[in-house]
Amino acid sequence: MIETLGYFATSWIDPYLLMLTALGTFAGIYIGAIPGLSVTMAASILISFTFKWDVNEALALIAGVYVGGVYGGARTAILLNIPGAPSAIATAIDGYPLAQKGLAGEAIGLSTVMSVMGGLIGVFALAIAAPLIAEFAIKFTSREYMLLGIIGILLVGTLSGESFAKGAFAGALGVMIGMIGLDPMTAETRFTYGSINLMGGVPFVVAMIGFFGVAEALSQLEHISTPPIKQKVARIIPAWSDVRRYLGLGLKSSMLGTAIGALPGTGGDIAALLAYDQAKRSTKNPEVPFGEGAKEGLIAPETANNAAVGGAFVPMLTLGIPGDAVTAIIIGALYIHGLKPGPLLLTDTPHLFWFIVGNLTLANIFLLVFGLTGIRIFTKVVECPRAILIPLIVILSAVGAYAIQNNPAHITWVLAFGVIGYFLKRYGFQVGPIILGVILGPMIDSNYRRAMIGAQENVWTFLYDLISHPISFVLSGALFFMLITQLPFVKRHRRRPRP
Amino acid sequence: MKTPDSLRPGEQFFALLLVIFAGYAFWESYGISKFSGLTTGGIMPMLASGVMVVTALVTLSETLRKPGTGRGSIRDVIAYLFPARVVLFTVLVVVYVAVIPSVGFLPASGCLLFVSIWALWRRGPVWSLAISLLSIGVIYLLFRVVFSVVLPSGSLWQ
Repeated sequence: MIETLGYFATSWIDPYLLMLTALGTFAGIYIGAIPGLSVTMAASILISFTFKWDVNEALALIAGVYVGGVYGGARTAILLNIPGAPSAIATAIDGYPLAQKGLAGEAIGLSTVMSVMGGLIGVFALAIAAPLIAEFAIKFTSREYMLLGIIGILLVGTLSGESFAKGAFAGALGVMIGMIGLDPMTAETRFTYGSINLMGGVPFVVAMIGFFGVAEALSQLEHISTPPIKQKVARIIPAWSDVRRYLGLGLKSSMLGTAIGALPGTGGDIAALLAYDQAKRSTKNPEVPFGEGAKEGLIAPETANNAAVGGAFVPMLTLGIPGDAVTAIIIGALYIHGLKPGPLLLTDTPHLFWFIVGNLTLANIFLLVFGLTGIRIFTKVVECPRAILIPLIVILSAVGAYAIQNNPAHITWVLAFGVIGYFLKRYGFQVGPIILGVILGPMIDSNYRRAMIGAQENVWTFLYDLISHPISFVLSGALFFMLITQLPFVKRHRRRPRP
Repeated sequence: MKTPDSLRPGEQFFALLLVIFAGYAFWESYGISKFSGLTTGGIMPMLASGVMVVTALVTLSETLRKPGTGRGSIRDVIAYLFPARVVLFTVLVVVYVAVIPSVGFLPASGCLLFVSIWALWRRGPVWSLAISLLSIGVIYLLFRVVFSVVLPSGSLWQ
């Protein structure tokens, strides 16, 4: 026990590790917040110059960036309606309306406290329930991953926008964009039109920057003469009554986020969306309607995506399967340092497991400190005249797109996606489902095909499998429920006043 | 979900364009591997584009049911979709993207910032120049120095 506590506290008592964790968390917040910079990108760059470091030092820095980055995406989602990361897409739905009302400081303060709560619960789950959650996650087959992906896209379609048809169209368009390139299973070309640049596919970050960054910049040109809203940042630390009031929702969202984060291949984005949907369905009478600045709509995704960080480490450390893109990079870092993540990691190198647990806990504490400070400087960004901000967003978008693969073509793509996104937004289409489609499309594709091969390419066997296995049955039921509730006559029936 | 009460200028035409685009996407998807199997590379694009066709048709029918003529004059549509600022800025960005390979990222970005801030903010060239230079300096420090991102240097200077 004493030994475990010692491993846990390694980064707390070593000044250098303490400093690296603080630096990583601080940098992560700004990396996550700046459109065009992603945690995945930062983590991969960090590995390129930390591979000679001691493993604890490298992990302290990367884990700090990871924790800070997942949270940082919320800041631009709230202030600019540009999610810094996919996990902050749901945050923008209610966070941005709060900022438009001049409540950015309060929104960021509340999201910080709830993010830390979610993060700590995720780490607690990692420490206590890692073997149990991993055991459940491993039961998921390709069928379940396919269903989970479809649910993820449709959720965004139903959550925002004018009509379900528009949301589903946008999601399917995103899946199509995600299909561009060489088919990983058969090497067939899909929508490449002979272009070598298109053979490698469209990186989702490029689509995300274009549809969110450039499209938003073009849309905001219309309001360039509108004076920027002065954000109320006087009260950054949220009222205790608010924290207490949303504690139950935060706990529920944290548990959901941890469980989703533990599913390999998923991550903060799906966790945040599911938590948002769950909050929307379970909150009977929100003070402000969802989509117009409901605090519940801010808290649920923010708690869940940070809880997913701890969850994502569960399959990585116990099974050697990354929970998301960043943990995939961390696996690479562990291999570089001669360690093999998997079931033996916990027994052979318990010091490493407990070091990670302790370090993630420490990073969450730093997150609370850095998250609640420096907001005034940050909100100045939103008070900056749009005439300065808009060209800056375009330039950050260009450099962000280029930095992914040093490919100049990506800058052109970002512009093209931006223009398409601008037209779609003018006619009431949401860009969130497009991005989710780009991210989840390839996952749905490969898992569908694996499931169909498993069903020996027989449609009836495939459909029977969807309802005959318990986890598939629950997910299919959820999908069916989502679709059925969007049918016009069902919506009319639900809207009808009850006697 | 909120549905606007009346049509936006050109909304029905846009919905029709989406139906045509979705149909084209389905045709292209079909071309990948035809109906040769249920696990081919073309099956998911066909499923996705099929969803696009259906939802585009639903969207078109929704717009047809909305009150208002929906046609709007060409002038209305242009004013709605292409405000002068959007056109001007988009042209600037297109030129910016086109000159990056020859001029390089930093000079091209500096010029875009200067011209667009001057045109959009109208506080005079000195302010615009100062803000542009400061922004470019910060971007250089952040991306080139801190993150070691290789920025396009431009063929003119090589």
